[in-house]
Amino acid sequence: MKVSKWSERLFGTPLFDPVVTTSFLFPLLYLVAFLIIPVLAMLAIAFQYNGQFSLHWFTSLASDYYISFHPEGEFYKLITMPTGEQVYYIQGWDFGVILNSLLVSISVMILTTILGTVFAFVMARYDFPGKDIVRILLFVPLLVTPFVNVFIVKKMFLPAGLINWVFHDILHIFPHPIWIDGLVGVIVAQTLTYYPIVYLNAYASFINIDPTLEEQAENLGSGGLHLFRTVTFPLALPGIAAGATLVGIFSLEDLAAPIVFQGNGLARKLMSFQIYSAFTSGFNVGSPQLAALALIMLTIAIMMFLGIRKYVSLRQYAMLSKGGRWKPRVAKPKPWQAFLIYFVVLPVLFLSIFPQIGVVLLAFSEQWGDTTWPSGFTLKHIQSIITQPDIERVIINSVMYSTVAIVVIILLSLTASYASSRFKKSKLGPVLDSLSTIPIAVPGIVIAMSYFFFFAKVFPDTPLDPTNLLGFNPAMVLILAYSIRRLPFAARSISAGIQQVHISLEEVALNLGASRWKALTGILIPLILLNLLGGAMLSFVYCMSETSVGITLGSINPEYYPITARMVELITGSVGGTHLTAALGVFLMVVQIIAIVLANVITKQRYSFIGLT
Amino acid sequence: MVDVKLENIVKTFGETVALKGIDLHIKAGELFTLLGPSGCGKSTTLRIIAGLDFPDSGTIYFGDQEVTYLPSSKRGAVLVFQNYALWPHMTVFDNVAYGLKLRKLPKDEIKKKVEWALELIKLEGFADRYPTQLSGGQQQRVAIARALVVEPKVLLLDEPLSNLDAKLRLEMRSEIRRIQRELGITVIYVTHDQEEAMAISDRIAVMNVGTVEQVGTPKEIYETPKTEFVASFMGKTNVIPAKVVERNGDRVSVEFEDIRLDGLYYTGESDDVVVVIRPERIRLKPIENAVSFTGTVDLIEYYGFFVEVVGLFGDTRIIARTISDREIAGLKPLQQVTFYVERDDVIVLPKQQL
Repeated sequence: MKVSKWSERLFGTPLFDPVVTTSFLFPLLYLVAFLIIPVLAMLAIAFQYNGQFSLHWFTSLASDYYISFHPEGEFYKLITMPTGEQVYYIQGWDFGVILNSLLVSISVMILTTILGTVFAFVMARYDFPGKDIVRILLFVPLLVTPFVNVFIVKKMFLPAGLINWVFHDILHIFPHPIWIDGLVGVIVAQTLTYYPIVYLNAYASFINIDPTLEEQAENLGSGGLHLFRTVTFPLALPGIAAGATLVGIFSLEDLAAPIVFQGNGLARKLMSFQIYSAFTSGFNVGSPQLAALALIMLTIAIMMFLGIRKYVSLRQYAMLSKGGRWKPRVAKPKPWQAFLIYFVVLPVLFLSIFPQIGVVLLAFSEQWGDTTWPSGFTLKHIQSIITQPDIERVIINSVMYSTVAIVVIILLSLTASYASSRFKKSKLGPVLDSLSTIPIAVPGIVIAMSYFFFFAKVFPDTPLDPTNLLGFNPAMVLILAYSIRRLPFAARSISAGIQQVHISLEEVALNLGASRWKALTGILIPLILLNLLGGAMLSFVYCMSETSVGITLGSINPEYYPITARMVELITGSVGGTHLTAALGVFLMVVQIIAIVLANVITKQRYSFIGLT
Repeated sequence: MVDVKLENIVKTFGETVALKGIDLHIKAGELFTLLGPSGCGKSTTLRIIAGLDFPDSGTIYFGDQEVTYLPSSKRGAVLVFQNYALWPHMTVFDNVAYGLKLRKLPKDEIKKKVEWALELIKLEGFADRYPTQLSGGQQQRVAIARALVVEPKVLLLDEPLSNLDAKLRLEMRSEIRRIQRELGITVIYVTHDQEEAMAISDRIAVMNVGTVEQVGTPKEIYETPKTEFVASFMGKTNVIPAKVVERNGDRVSVEFEDIRLDGLYYTGESDDVVVVIRPERIRLKPIENAVSFTGTVDLIEYYGFFVEVVGLFGDTRIIARTISDREIAGLKPLQQVTFYVERDDVIVLPKQQL
């Protein structure tokens, strides 16, 4: 038996072992082949002009259309509706595509941080009648219903929408009704969609603060806001900031809100939408200018991602708790605090779950035009899920894609987590670690675009070639995209599982004569089986509702549409389409609820399908 | 049952050298202890013998067979982990049977052997329990049974008693000793507790920062330490820096403060030495063939079954321990006191280079 220096260096074990080697190489090669190479190949196009290296396409973006420091138009204006009624029309300023995207992203980060932190603090620190109901309600905004929830948000802020019904018609707070559209509409929709991410992170952070740290501060004379400002908030900040950054990245790559608000030209002037619309309008993806735009978007997302990684690792406070009882700090709110909870926090909560309520209402209603509430109850939209062949087909397609994808996801995240948490001396470990988390920062539309180039180039005139249009079968491309995009989240929850299994449990098996394969399949996998099942279920939910790739590469050949491809077609198309989209939204919500409840029951742990808790 | 030989084992972790060339010869059938403070390299040595880590250089032999880079699974040196590492998803039976199943033994033979092992550790009737249903001491026994049942060439125990409470620790200590004697197996035992090491071992290797300072029987290690580290590590003792002022063959005179001790055995080269005196070897009454030194009483500490008198000699504190109340009757702090030690109980060692 020989020791191998390179095996030790690469794989962290001096004895060459096929199981260890595969655990490193399978996820590494997969990520290189299906993430790094396609993205780099596409980006190479951005640096080429007339066959030479050039920054031409980047300088071509330096027009007012892309970056403008003199915003066009008015942030809001008073307009007169055809009915003669005067309305405040709020749409935001136009700073050009690139700056718009940045400003929307930053605004959404700020708003979700405020909303998420306040909810989290109230839930973590106050005990008030009705808290259990609130806890369940807070779960509702987590349900993902692509496009249709944004559609409801848009409805809420129409002149006849819920907001004006409450604040203008009933409470008479607004002098005129408001109508939120354009970039402001996108910001509001994204805020309501993404604030649960900050909430979950902030809640976990508040809960994990060692109570004695705050008790000591109080003991020394601090209290109230001073205590929050000097001790509680700084300790929770890394978690909150991580959540906010994730939201910033999601906002940057979001397509649902710009697509739903695209009636207003301003909502189209976002990087994600620009790339998307070029994609769908005649598949003009060959444009190097778009590749340059995609590179800018990717760079911003990766910078945000690396920035927060650095910040959080610098401030990862280990809570130095030396035993003792851990008495959670939960207090009864003082009267003024109770007032704020019941009359500010809870109404805002209701506002934030209204999109999901609206989706259900829309799915079960005959008609919902420009009115506050829908009219007529019907089951026909829900029934069409099983009776309408095109709907039935997209569901079957999505279930098939997602089922295969979760097998791949579990294999990838299991091998990657096993390799990087068990063979720490490996020089490949950090590489694998970074590579498997980087998909968080790669916008879905960038993956879609690069796959388009990549598969058209490498597999021309085959069913894998997207330019083959009706000859194109997106199954493999979608499964690859799903698996890459979901990997960071699945790997994280599986890593957490592996870290709870002490390494000596495997070492003792090896020591007693087991091979690596036996120790992995007989000891480690049975011990983390629940994590694997939970991860698989949440990944399934994610794949079922994935948007960016589904509505681009997935929407080339109608025969192979995934659910989201049909949803975007329905919501931007015929009038009745919105009800059917809502019915699909309800279907997805039911799938999510079942998966989450099962995952929670199986693993007896709190999971959210964003994979952040 | 084999003997284990380590030749010049070197191991580094990044920048730090964990083992700086370890040589050990563990005889077949003995209970051999690696003793030292945390970070001295004793657990690393054990993991290298188990095949869970590999040395950068050096050779390991089990009998005549070189095993330096033999995978752990093929080595037959079975380690009992400090945390027991019982698989929580398997019953006691399955835990113990694991190694036998890997060796593809017939079912009834596995059953027989597991029963034998459970009987050996006195846990008959616990076969169907899960590890979480056992107490710490019982888990410890199962871990030992799981290792013994595969008939290892060498049994390795890594701080096996450190997670047990004081009473159980004494009980398990004699239990381990009993099993080892019964099976006549070679055992390598790691601990940082010198009392435990002396009570259980045939021989002890005292380790310090990656080197073996001394190997010997508990009596040798305690009574004739070869280095200042060994002397100070083995229980509470007086270590007094001193200078050699006169040499006469293998006898020297040393001086500390303004006290001179004559006729002590010392063959080292350095004149910078330490004088090591065990507190229990100091008498407060004159005895034959003794050296003596006079100072004042600084403190008298009552421990129940013995009393310690701390004497102050210049700036040097020396502790004497006695179980005889008569010896210290009437003694009070600040009084003058004279300590007597038999000349052969005064150990002179070269001062440790830092």
